[in-house]
Amino acid sequence: MTEQKKYGPAGGVLASGDGGQAVRADGVVDGVRRARRGVGRAGPGRQPQRAPLRKHPVFGSRTRTLLAFVLPSAVLLLLINLYPVAYAFVQSLKDGSLIAPGHFVGLHNYASVLTDPRFWGAARFTLVFTLVGVFGSWLAGLGLALLLRTRVPARGAFKVLLLLPWVVPVVVSATSWNWLVATPQSPIPTLLRHLGFGDVLFLASPLLAQVTVCVFKVWISFPFMMMMMSSALASVDASVYEAAKVDGAGPWQTFRLITMPMISRTTFVSWILMTIFCVNDFPTVYLLTGGGPVGSTRTLVVLAYQTVFQEFQTGTGVAIAFLMTFVLVAISVVLYRQIRKVNIE
Amino acid sequence: MSVLGTSSTGAPHAADGAAASTRKARSAEPGQRGRWWRFAVLLVIALVVLIPILAVVGLSFRPALGSGANDSFTVENYITVFQQTDVLTWLRNSLLVTLVTAVVAVAVAAPAGYVLSRSRSRLVSGYSMLLFVMQSLPVVTAVIPLFILFAKLGLVDRLVGVMIIYVAGALSVATWMMAAYYDSIPIALEEAAWLDGASLFGGFLRIVLRNSLPGVLSTAIFSFLVAWNDYLIAVVFLRSSWNYTLPIGLETFFQQNATNWGLVMAVAVVMMAPPIILFAFLNKYFSVGGVGGALAGR
Repeated sequence: MTEQKKYGPAGGVLASGDGGQAVRADGVVDGVRRARRGVGRAGPGRQPQRAPLRKHPVFGSRTRTLLAFVLPSAVLLLLINLYPVAYAFVQSLKDGSLIAPGHFVGLHNYASVLTDPRFWGAARFTLVFTLVGVFGSWLAGLGLALLLRTRVPARGAFKVLLLLPWVVPVVVSATSWNWLVATPQSPIPTLLRHLGFGDVLFLASPLLAQVTVCVFKVWISFPFMMMMMSSALASVDASVYEAAKVDGAGPWQTFRLITMPMISRTTFVSWILMTIFCVNDFPTVYLLTGGGPVGSTRTLVVLAYQTVFQEFQTGTGVAIAFLMTFVLVAISVVLYRQIRKVNIE
Repeated sequence: MSVLGTSSTGAPHAADGAAASTRKARSAEPGQRGRWWRFAVLLVIALVVLIPILAVVGLSFRPALGSGANDSFTVENYITVFQQTDVLTWLRNSLLVTLVTAVVAVAVAAPAGYVLSRSRSRLVSGYSMLLFVMQSLPVVTAVIPLFILFAKLGLVDRLVGVMIIYVAGALSVATWMMAAYYDSIPIALEEAAWLDGASLFGGFLRIVLRNSLPGVLSTAIFSFLVAWNDYLIAVVFLRSSWNYTLPIGLETFFQQNATNWGLVMAVAVVMMAPPIILFAFLNKYFSVGGVGGALAGR
C-alpha cells in the first residue's frame, strides 16, 4: 500500500521532484506499475525502456509546464490570502485606525483583547455555535441522506428541494427568518401566542436568540452535509448490505457496524470543513441578530468586524481576528494531518 | 476513491422506482407501505424546511399596505422594484461578477487541480497543505489589508476588485473539486497520448479536460455560489450604488422604506432565482462529495 501510494497513480512520471527515481524504480514498483497498466512482463511493454531515453528534454519542459499550471493559483494565494495575513499581523501590533497607520504598541492590543470580557463571551458563543452547527447539521444531513437512499416516490425532487437552504443566499434567508420571528407581530410568535405559549421573543431574549441563531445555522448547513454523506453512502458497495441481511443483521446493527465505518472518513472530513465554515461564518449571525441582544450572539468574527468597522479600532479588531485565525489554523493543521492518517479504503 | 457526480444516478433510480411501483402494486410487498411512510416523513420535513423560502415567494406577490389593489395576488411589487429602483443594475452587476468569477476560478483551478491529482512530489503536498490553511482563514482578517492594498491599486469600488477576491476565495475548494474529478480519470489515457507525442499540456487539454465536463460544471457552480451569496466582501468594497451587487442592494430597502416587505421580498426572489434555476437544471452535475476524497487522498 505505501509503495503504491508513494508512486501514486501517476507513478512519478509527472512528479518533478522524484520523477527520476521513479523511472529507475526497483522491480517491485516496476511490477506494480506494469500490473496497473495491464501490461505483463512479456507483453509489448517497451515504455519503461523508452522513457529514460527521452527523459532530459522532456522532464525539463514538463517541470516547467507543471509550474505554469500552478502559477496563477499560487500568485492569487500569495496576493489575496497570504499577504493580507502578514499585513494583518503587523497591523495588530499597531494602534492605527482605518485611515491612520498608527504607531507600534507591541503586544498591547493582544493584552487588551485577552482581558476584555467581551472577547471571552464571543469565544464561548463561537464554540457553542460551532459545535451545534457541525453536529446538528451532520445529524440532520446524515438522517436525510439515509432516508433519500431508500426507495421513495419523488426522490429526485426531494434531493433538489432539500438543497435549497444552502443554495439560497444568506442575505435572503436571513431576511426571511427575520420576518418570521423578529417582532411580536411576526408569524411564528403570533402562532405560538395562539397556542398558549405567551409572548415568545426569539431575537430579544439572549438565550432564545442564541438558540435561534444556532438553528438558523443548522438550517443553512445541513444540505452540505447531506451531499457529503450521500456521496459517501453511494460509495458503499450494495452487496455488503445484502451479505449483512443474509447474516441476519438488523437495521441498527447494519448501520453501526457496516455503514458508519465505511463513511467514517468522509464524516471526519465534513466535520473539519464545517468547523472551518462555522468559525469563519460572518453573515449568518450578523444578518440575523447583528450580534445582539446585549452581545449574546456575538461570535469572534462579528466582534472583530464591529471593532474595526464600527468602533474604528483597527489594531484591536485585527488582533481578535488574528488570535482566532491562529487557533483555527493550528487546529486545522493538526486535523489535516489527522485526515491523511485516517485511511479507510 | 472519490465519488463525484453520484447524484447523476438519480435519474435511473427514479425510473427504477417507477417500474418497481407498478410491480409492487400487484405483488403488494410489505415494503410498499414503508415507501409511502418515508415519503410522508420527507414531505413534512421538506415543507417545514422550506417555510422561509416559501414565505419569501408568497410575500413578494402580496399587495403592499395602503396600496389601491386589494387582490390577494399582485405583481405590483415587481413592477415597482424594476421601474423605480436600481434592481436591474444590481442584477446585472451580480450576474457579471458571478459569471466572471466562475469562469476564472475554473480556469485557474483546472490546471492546479491537475498537478494536485497527478503529482506526488513533496512540493505539491506542501501546496495542498497551503490550500487547506488558506481555506481556514477568516475573511474578516483579510478584509482590512486587502482594502488598503486595493485602495492603492485603485480597485476599491470596482467590480474587478471583488471578482479577484471571489476567485481567490473559491480557489481552495475549486482546486480540490477539480483534483477529485481528475482522480477518477485513468492515467493510462494520458500515457497513451504522450506516447503518441502529445505534450503534457496537450494531454491535459485534449484528454483530461475534455473528459471532465461534470467536474468543471461542479466547480463552476460552486464558484458561482461563492460569489453570488457573498455579503461581507461586497459590503466593504462596493461603495457607489451603481456598483452594488444584489445583497447590498437588498440592504438599502431596509434603510429607505422601513419595512415594505413586499418590495424586499420581490428583490429577494430576484436574488434567489438564478441559483435555484441553476440547481434545478444542473443539479445532477453538482457534487461536493469528492472533496473529502481529494483532501484525504494526499
